[in-house]
Amino acid sequence: MLSNFAYVQPQSLKAALKQLETPEARLHAGGTDLLGCLREGIFGAKKIVSISGLNAFKGVRETSNGGLRIGALTTITQVERHPAIRSRFRALSQGAGEVASPQLRNQGTIGGNICQKPRCWYYRGEFHCLRKGGERCYAVGGENQYHCIFGGENCFIVHPSDTAPPLVALEAVVRIVGPQGTRSVPVSRFHVPPSEDFRQETVLAPDEMVTEIILPPAPSGLRSSYRKVRARRAWDFSLAGMALAITFKDNTVQKARVVFSGVAPVPWRSKEVEVAITGRRLDKETVARAADAAVREAEPMEKNGYKISLLRGVVEEELLAAQSGESPG
Amino acid sequence: MKNEEKGIYFAEGLAVPETPEPGKDPKPWKETNVVGKSRPRVDGYERVSGSAMYPSDYSLPHMLFGAVLRCPYPNAKIKRVDTRKAEQMPGVRAIISAATPEARVLWPYTPHMKVELFDSHCRFEGEAVAAVAAETPYQASDAVRAIDVTYEVLPFVTDERKAMLSDAPKVHPAGNRVGPTEHYSRGDVAKGFEEADVVLEESYRTECEIHTPMELHGCLAYWDGDLLNIHESTQGVYAVQSKVAEVLDLPLSKVRVMGRYMGGGFGSKLQPGKYTVIAAILAKITGCPVKLFLTREETYLCTGNRPASNMKLKAGVTKDGRLTALDFSVVGSGGAYPAGGTLLVDWLVKDLYLCPNVRTAATDVYTNAGPARPFRAPGHPQGAWALEQMMDALAKAIDMDPVALRLKNIPSYSQARKGNPPYTTTGLAACLKEGAKAFGWEKRRKEIAAEKPNGSLRRGVGMAACLWVAGGGRPPSTIILKLFSDGSVNLNMGASDIGTGTKTVMAMVVAEELNVHTDVIQIEHADTGTTQFATPSGGSKTVPTEAPAVRRAAIHVKQQLLEMAAEQLKADVSDLRFKGNAIVHGNDDAKKVTIKDLKGLKKRGVVVGVGYRGPNPEGKVVNPFGVQFCEVEMDIRTGEIRIVDFLGANESGRVMDRLTFDNQVFGGITMGIGLGMTEVRVLDEGGSGKMLNKNWHDYKLPTALDVSPRMTSFPIELPDPEANITGAKGLGEPVTIPTAAAIANAVYHACGVRMTETPINPTRLGVMLSDRPKEA
Repeated sequence: MLSNFAYVQPQSLKAALKQLETPEARLHAGGTDLLGCLREGIFGAKKIVSISGLNAFKGVRETSNGGLRIGALTTITQVERHPAIRSRFRALSQGAGEVASPQLRNQGTIGGNICQKPRCWYYRGEFHCLRKGGERCYAVGGENQYHCIFGGENCFIVHPSDTAPPLVALEAVVRIVGPQGTRSVPVSRFHVPPSEDFRQETVLAPDEMVTEIILPPAPSGLRSSYRKVRARRAWDFSLAGMALAITFKDNTVQKARVVFSGVAPVPWRSKEVEVAITGRRLDKETVARAADAAVREAEPMEKNGYKISLLRGVVEEELLAAQSGESPG
Repeated sequence: MKNEEKGIYFAEGLAVPETPEPGKDPKPWKETNVVGKSRPRVDGYERVSGSAMYPSDYSLPHMLFGAVLRCPYPNAKIKRVDTRKAEQMPGVRAIISAATPEARVLWPYTPHMKVELFDSHCRFEGEAVAAVAAETPYQASDAVRAIDVTYEVLPFVTDERKAMLSDAPKVHPAGNRVGPTEHYSRGDVAKGFEEADVVLEESYRTECEIHTPMELHGCLAYWDGDLLNIHESTQGVYAVQSKVAEVLDLPLSKVRVMGRYMGGGFGSKLQPGKYTVIAAILAKITGCPVKLFLTREETYLCTGNRPASNMKLKAGVTKDGRLTALDFSVVGSGGAYPAGGTLLVDWLVKDLYLCPNVRTAATDVYTNAGPARPFRAPGHPQGAWALEQMMDALAKAIDMDPVALRLKNIPSYSQARKGNPPYTTTGLAACLKEGAKAFGWEKRRKEIAAEKPNGSLRRGVGMAACLWVAGGGRPPSTIILKLFSDGSVNLNMGASDIGTGTKTVMAMVVAEELNVHTDVIQIEHADTGTTQFATPSGGSKTVPTEAPAVRRAAIHVKQQLLEMAAEQLKADVSDLRFKGNAIVHGNDDAKKVTIKDLKGLKKRGVVVGVGYRGPNPEGKVVNPFGVQFCEVEMDIRTGEIRIVDFLGANESGRVMDRLTFDNQVFGGITMGIGLGMTEVRVLDEGGSGKMLNKNWHDYKLPTALDVSPRMTSFPIELPDPEANITGAKGLGEPVTIPTAAAIANAVYHACGVRMTETPINPTRLGVMLSDRPKEA
C-alpha cells in the first residue's frame, strides 16, 4: 500500500536534524496527518523520522516575562487543558478544543497542527492539481463548497488549522531549527499564501523543524476567543471561524487582532475588522459595520457563497460576546 | 432471578403458556415471564469482548488475499488490460480479468440485465475491471495498482436531474429512462383541489446517502472439493447462496454460505456482491482460501446508496383539516443499472393519510454512478421529507396544530392497495396523541411562543409521522428446536442477526414457552449447510417472520413432551400441563414427572420440534406506525443546530425485548439525523464525475455530538393477535422514516425558514437565514 521507507527514532535534536538531511525524509510527530498523506499519495517518503523521543519539546513552560513556551510535541489535548493557556490565552485553548475529535487531539501535536496539509478533496483525491505539480485547480468550476473566499488567486484551499488563527491573533512566534541554526518567525508569517507559492504551505524547509511556539505575555485587558462553525459538531474542519484578541480599556477596544479560519488558504488576518472596531465600543452599530467590513473583500466561488453570511454571523456574535465579556458559544 | 433454582429450569410454579393441541393455533401470550422484558443480548459478551468471529475475522491456512481493480472513470470502455507487470510482483498468485476463462460469467444486476462479471463497458466509477489474489493484502493491493489498463473515456451524466435532457450522454444505448414513468391515481385530483380551502405546492430534494456499515463488505471463500464455502458479511446467507449458485452455475447444495456474526447491514448486504463471485473464482484458480474484503473507499463507490429524490408535492386541505387532494411526482436514479431509483418514494403520499384524490408519478433514470441498494426503509424517509413538511405547512396555513391536522386524517385501511384492505391494527392515532403528551408537545409550543429571543438562539419543536409498507413478516420460515435430555435447548434458524438482536428475541421466545434460561439456549443460525431456508434479514420483518415459527417449534417440543409424560404417567394428554420443570396431572400435583425424568426423552436423547411460519391474515395489512417529536435549538446568525431531544413513539405490535426495541428507536433517529443534517454524496458533476468524499471524514456521518443525549423511546403497545402468533410487528425501519422531516419542521418552527433540501446545516441554512424576510 505504502512505498517502503526507513523508520528512525533519533533521541536528540541534533540526531533528528541529521536524519532530516536524507532526501524525502518526513517528520513524524503525532502522525495523524502524515499517515493520511502517505496513504493518499500526497507525498512519498524514503525515511520517516520520528521525533517522539525529543522530550525537550513536550509540554508548556512559563517564560521569564510572563509568556509561554509551548513545545512543538505538546499534544492538542494538553494545549487545550493547560491552566495557564486556559486562563491567559483562552483563544488558543478554545482553538485546540475545537480540533477534530478527542482521539485526534490526544494524538496530534501543536507543531503538527500548524503544519497540516490542506484538506481540499481534489488535492487529497486522485487529481493532479496545481498544488501537486499539475496544471490547474480543480475547485475552480468544481465542487468548491468548502473552499476559500479570500486569497485564492490560483489555488483555492482553506487552511485547516484551528490553532494557527488564535496563535496569529495572540502574536505567537514559531521557533524553527535547521542545519543553519535557529530562527524565529511570527506565526502570522509562517504560512505561505498561494499567491506567493502554491506548492508550499509553510516557510519550513524540508530539513527544518518546528521546535517551539512562543506566546508573548498577555497584555492586561486582553479578551481572546476562538469560534468555529462546522457542518457537523465534531471531527470536522472549519467552514468559517474567527480568533479574536482584543485589548480593552474602559470597555473600548484599544487594540485588536482578528484572524479568520476556514475561509482562506492561510490563517486570514482581517485588518478590515480590526480597523472597524479599534478605538470603539463594540455596540450594535460598530459590530454591524465590522461584519460588513469582514466580508467586503470576499470573493465567493460558485458553491461557497454561504460562507459570506456565515462569517458575518460569526463576527457579529463574537464581537458582541467580547464586549459583554461573555463566554462565546 | 432470586427465585430461580440453579440450573436449567425456572422455579416451579412459574406459568408456562398453555400448549395447544396439535394443529391448533396457540392463544396470544397474556402475562409473560420473559417476552417484553428488558433482556441484554444473548451474545453481548462475545460481541463486546471480541471473541465473536465475524466473517472478516476468519483466517485459514494458506489463505490468500483478494483485491479488485476498479474503473476510475464514471463512463469508460476498456481497450486493453495489461497484467504482465503485476504478474511478476512478489506474492501474486492469480490475476483475473475479462480475458480469464473462469471469470467469463454473467453478473445479474437484475434478472433481466446481466453483464459480464468484468464488463468491457464500465458505466460507473468503481466498476470491477480485474482482480488479484496474493499472499498479503498489501501485495494484492500493489499488484492491482500495477495492472495497466487503457480506457476510452466517455462522456458521462451523474446528476439525475440532467439525465433526461436531450443532450445528456446515454448510460445505456436505449437511453436514460429505466422504464416509462410510473403513474398512480385515485379519485379526481382536480376536483379535490377545487374543494380545498388551501392549496400549497412545494419542491423538495433529499441527497444521496451511502451505505457505510461498520463491517466492510466482503467474504472469505474456499473450495472443499466441489463444495464452495463462503463466510460472508451478509443479511441473508440463502440470498448469497442462490445468487452465487446462479452466477457460477452450481447446485444450491454445492454452495455453503455462513454468516453467523456480521457487522451491520442496512440493505446493502441483502445480496452478495461481485466481490463474492470474484473471491470464489480466485479461490478456485489458486486452490487456496481467498479473503476479499473491500476497502472503505471501495464501499463508497459500489455497495449501494439511498438515491437522491427530487420531489414535487401539491396538496389541498379544507379549513377544518380534511385533506382533499395530493399530487406528487419524483425523479430519482438508482445509478448505472436498474436499482429502484424511485422505489416506494410515493408510498406515504398514497397511504399514510386519508385522502380521496391522489396522483403520483415516479421517473427512474440511469446515471453514471454506483448502483443503489435498498437503504433502511427504501423511499420512505424521502417521501416523508416531502409529505410531512407539507402537512406542517398546511397546518400552519389553516392555523391548526400539526398533530391535530394529522389526527383528522387517520385511515383504518390501506388506500393504496387494491380493495382497500384494513390494517390489523393502526397505532397512528395513539402514537400521535400519546407521543405528543409524553413529549409535552402543546406545552412546549406554548412556552416557545411566549419566549423572548435569547440573543441569536431560537428554539423550535417539530414532529412527523409514518407507516412502513412492510413489517408484517411472512412465510416462509422453518425453525428446528432441539431439547436435549438435560433440558437444554438448541435453536436452529436460517436467519441472520444483523445486529438488531434477532438471536436475543428468539431465545426469549423459547425461554417463554419452555421456561428455560436463555443462557442454556445455543443458537445455530445463518448457515446454509446446517440451518433451514430463511429470507434475508431486512424489511423490518425478521422478528414477525421468525418469532412465530420459533414459538411453534417450541410448542411442538412441548406437545411431544406431553405425549411422553402421558405415556409415563398413564394419563391422558389433555389432563396434563407444564408446571415449572415438570409436567403435572390436572389438579393432582402429586402425579407428576420432571422433564429430565421423562423416560422417552432419556431414551431418545433429544426431542426435535419443527415450527413453520403460518400465513398472514387474509385480506388484511400488517404495518407498523410511528411518530417522532423533536426540539432543536438554533443559532439564526450561523445556522448551527443543536438537537435538544427526540422522542420516538412507535406502534409495532408487541414489544418483544424492551432493550432491543429502544436500540432500534435510538439507532433509527441517529440515522435519520444523518439524512437530515449531515450526509451527502458529492460527485464532481462539472468535472471528472468522480465521487469526491469517499471517506469517513468528508462523507459526514453524524457523530456523538450531532445526536442528542436525550432520546426517548415510547412504545405504543397495541395487541395485534391477527398479525401473527406473537403479535409483534417490525420496527427497524419506521424508526428512521420521520426523523429528517421532524427536524426540518422544528427548524421551521424555530426560525421560519422552510428547508426543502437536505442537509440542514450551516452550508445551506446560513444562506436561507440571511435571505429570509426580516420579520420571520
